[in-house]
Amino acid sequence: MISIGKVSKSFPGVKALDDISFTIQYGEVHGLVGENGAGKSTLIKILSGIYPQYEGNIVFDGSVRHFYSAHEAQTGGIATIFQELTVIKELSVAENIFLGREPTRRLGMLDWSVMRDKSNEVLQFLDTPLDPRETVGKLSVANQQIVEICKALVLNSRIIIMDEPTSSLTEHEVDQLFITIRRLKEKGITILYVSHKIEEIFEICDSITVLRDGKHIGTVEKTETSPDEVISMMVGRSMNMMFPPRSAKKGGLLLSVRDLSRIGEFEHVSFDLHEGEIIGFAGLIGAGRTELARALFGATALDTGEIGLYGDRIDHFAHPNDALSRGVAYLSEDRKGEGLMLELSVRENMSLPILKKISPYFFVQGARERELVQSYISKFKIRMTSIDQIVESLSGGNQQKVIISKLLLTESKVFIFDEPTRGIDVGAKYEIYKIMNDLTLEGKGIIFISSELPEVLGVSDRIFCMREGELVQEFTRDEAEPEKVMKVLAAGENLTGGDAA
Amino acid sequence: MNDLAGKNTIISSLRDVFKVREAPIFIYVIVMIAVFSSTIDGFFSMKNFEIISRQITTIGIVSVGMTLVILSGGFDLSVGAILSFAINIGGQGIVFGWPIWIVYPFMLALGIILGWINGFLITRLAVPALIITLGTMNIYRGITMVITKGVYITPIPSVYSFIGRGYIPFLFYAAVLGIFTFATLKTRFGRNIFAIGGAEESALYSGVPVRRYKTIVYIISGFLSALSGLILVGKSGFVQPQAGLGYELNAIAAVVIGGTSIFGGSGSVLGTFLGSVMLGIILAGLTMLAVNPYWQGLITGVLIVFAITLDSLRYLKR
Amino acid sequence: MRIVRSGQLKIIFILTGVNILIMAALTYLSPTFMTYGNITAVMTRMSELGMLAIAETIVLIGGGFDISIGAVMALSGAVLGTLHVMGVPFYLSIIIALAAGIAVGLLNAVLVVNLRLTPFIVTLATMAIVRSVVYALLKGNVLTELPEAFLNLYYVYVFKLPLLFVILVATAVIMAIMLKKTILGRRIFAIGGNEKTAYVSGVYVKRIRYFVYCLSGFICALAGLLFTVRIRAVIPDAGLNAPLEVITAVLIGGTTIYGGKGSILGSLLGILAMYLLLNGFSLLGLNPFWEVIILGVILIVVIGQEGIIKSFRAPFVRTRA
Repeated sequence: MISIGKVSKSFPGVKALDDISFTIQYGEVHGLVGENGAGKSTLIKILSGIYPQYEGNIVFDGSVRHFYSAHEAQTGGIATIFQELTVIKELSVAENIFLGREPTRRLGMLDWSVMRDKSNEVLQFLDTPLDPRETVGKLSVANQQIVEICKALVLNSRIIIMDEPTSSLTEHEVDQLFITIRRLKEKGITILYVSHKIEEIFEICDSITVLRDGKHIGTVEKTETSPDEVISMMVGRSMNMMFPPRSAKKGGLLLSVRDLSRIGEFEHVSFDLHEGEIIGFAGLIGAGRTELARALFGATALDTGEIGLYGDRIDHFAHPNDALSRGVAYLSEDRKGEGLMLELSVRENMSLPILKKISPYFFVQGARERELVQSYISKFKIRMTSIDQIVESLSGGNQQKVIISKLLLTESKVFIFDEPTRGIDVGAKYEIYKIMNDLTLEGKGIIFISSELPEVLGVSDRIFCMREGELVQEFTRDEAEPEKVMKVLAAGENLTGGDAA
Repeated sequence: MNDLAGKNTIISSLRDVFKVREAPIFIYVIVMIAVFSSTIDGFFSMKNFEIISRQITTIGIVSVGMTLVILSGGFDLSVGAILSFAINIGGQGIVFGWPIWIVYPFMLALGIILGWINGFLITRLAVPALIITLGTMNIYRGITMVITKGVYITPIPSVYSFIGRGYIPFLFYAAVLGIFTFATLKTRFGRNIFAIGGAEESALYSGVPVRRYKTIVYIISGFLSALSGLILVGKSGFVQPQAGLGYELNAIAAVVIGGTSIFGGSGSVLGTFLGSVMLGIILAGLTMLAVNPYWQGLITGVLIVFAITLDSLRYLKR
Repeated sequence: MRIVRSGQLKIIFILTGVNILIMAALTYLSPTFMTYGNITAVMTRMSELGMLAIAETIVLIGGGFDISIGAVMALSGAVLGTLHVMGVPFYLSIIIALAAGIAVGLLNAVLVVNLRLTPFIVTLATMAIVRSVVYALLKGNVLTELPEAFLNLYYVYVFKLPLLFVILVATAVIMAIMLKKTILGRRIFAIGGNEKTAYVSGVYVKRIRYFVYCLSGFICALAGLLFTVRIRAVIPDAGLNAPLEVITAVLIGGTTIYGGKGSILGSLLGILAMYLLLNGFSLLGLNPFWEVIILGVILIVVIGQEGIIKSFRAPFVRTRA
């Protein structure tokens, strides 16, 4: 068995793992569940040697093992299949399977026949009709995943970690994957199955470990628990404590969206947003919520549909600048990729969308800029040494407050918040909920997108469930219970978990 | 079953050669030869082909090294400087009257050492290869000029001219092409280079010793630059401190025209060869057509834009 | 960890220090260094590469890359000379020469923005194209037949400073103000800092890119005119090595190839150090190529400093392979 003993890991501003201890038995499929930000990825990266610096120890085969590189972990018998697959798309199946340990003859010549035979062997074991010569880039994601599993098998790995393996698979492919996993289990391979989809966990796993906010909540046998119990372990906290009370009154219509479509991303989406209202968009990753938000904001083009704003009918926004100048602001889910200019100062980041407003004669009015920026820094208590500090050196929560301040400076009326609390700690989350609440008290409307169900339910007045690009159901705040909503979201995925148990 | 597999291998390796990137440029080269041969008297002659082969050899050999570097996701702006350093500093041996069998290995060793320095700095300092090799380019060239004080080494013993006679330069070029086509397609080294250029993190997570292979690539590039220098000396009959000036950009041009992606991970030595041939043919054709050869740059530029547009279309399609 | 963007200030302090040190050493070592004649000669000589450095800095800050700068410099001289020989009125020739620079910038912008090609390779291609146009225009010859009044600008001094240097300083000041104080400059920093963030913050990224490349073309064309005045001729090989020299100096000055960071002052200090070293070595009768070596070392040390510190620590800390 593998015991994880008192493992902790900190990043600047966040304690990602806090004193985690549990054991995994050999030959079992062990589920690791938790919401986004619970610490699952961090733990995986420690086990697979990508984060060599951590506290605590990992006991494996009766001795303490510390992996300093991915290579060491692999030779030590632990293979990891990341959500972002690490196949090289330009290379063939066989080349990928043997990447980094190619069998060679003299002069470093590749031994193609060995590579092909062994690849065929493992492919046959997994019962997959893949050609070892096929280029991996041409395969479906599911088959690329199979290639990764083959890689692990060729290495004679005894533990395979799978990180959210079903996140981009179809229903049928998920079934196939589970058949593969059972086959691996028969061969005596231990699997650490990481997911936040409860149904899958109950279908495939023998025991389940729950993490929440970087802490170990419990490890249970599947037979001794129920999905409801695990969900409540995952969600944990009492909701009323976590979220500020909603007191804003619903006012006039701000935004009405009719029949919005963008082919391949979302279809026939219609909803309204009123003053003083927060509407939540719940859904699994890939349900089309971010795509909808971006198209609504004018960052990508719409195929059909129309947008009504403050009673005017507008066709669509052609550029984000159109949206901003009409009072619609967007906070991107991708904080580093789209939210911030990391190497630039807090001041330069915050004033970017309002430069026109503070530069009447082409020149930026420095004093006015500082005054505006400073007012939001004090208002939100953003911790920094100077407004000329580069944002890269701020903690995640403070970075997010910089972005939100940037949006608030535009004095928009409609705010689209896409995953505003991702990757920040609990205290900072509460502050962001509070900011959202205060905005609605001023008569603004908020579209709130989040993959963390509890916060969608805790903050929103109405909840829209989005699945595979469509709005499937609307709940009011009172109707929305976590289990009910979760069921709607996951329908069409796997609901067979309960039956199997 | 076995027979079938064997046959498939042949077919698929034929596909490897002709399918992907090289096919279009191969066709262009053929078409160009056909057009020039039919419009220009004496274009399709051994004499002319010898001239072209001699013209493309020196930069061609450097371009092979550049191809490996770019395939691995890097850049090497120091190739021309290494060439000059190797033949000028190594050439001091000629001045001292050392025998050729010491001078040649000495020159090649200098190329290897300078390449290793590039590789070492790039893998240790976490600074883009573009900047490191821009720096070492300055340093190598500066040292060359300081030591030689800008003085040519001439005359040189006639043994040094042997390597530059007739088709001999091209034989070396062909050997280099053969070795590195084989190495990129058929060896572990080659697979790992493609893997590193395709996705360095993934390669690292798959257990590829990334640093080692990256260093080797720059060593090869340095070695080939020095080899190209030996041939240049053989062809010209003297050693010139300014040798290899501008080779870096010409080599990059040949690589890019040959269809190798500048982001690394896909491309081929063969493509680069065809790119070099294409540039050589155009230059020869224009010269024989009495078109002002200055327009060659224009054509090179247009070809580069054309090649990377194709590459980016391919990239977007994915 | 860098907290405030002190990296920038630090580099400028260091570079200023380095320049003062070089000057002090040269004053001590060579009696001719600190003479009015020598100092103004250095000023004049650095004018055209200084201009190119300004252009490159702006492009790099905006997240681009431009190695066609030297070729554009040659082009404006060649256009000017050719048109003058053809009998076109001189002021018109100057306007067309500057317009030619802008046209190359426009071409770069179209390829980078609309075809989404990598700036490094695009400008490598346009460099080859422009250079071949230059050779074709001049047919490889040096052209000296230019109006005396134009060439005599070389001897014009403003407040005892050579006019060419004054033009450089004026351009630098205008561009620095543009970058730091205007809405346009802030947007250039923004698209270089993070293009996507700038886009969702309402910046018209494409327009700004067009502006940046055209501006670079214009400044390089202006540099070509200065160069023509300085050497009193139009030569086809003008600025042949300029791109790599200028990029070296600009990177030493604290501008990054990733965009969003840099300053014109830093770049000009880099160019100044380059010319002071060059001047010093020739005054001292040493090989001037020491300058090239020193710049190469400075470049690697300045940009690799974090990595160098880490690799000194490496034997004590195990890291990823």
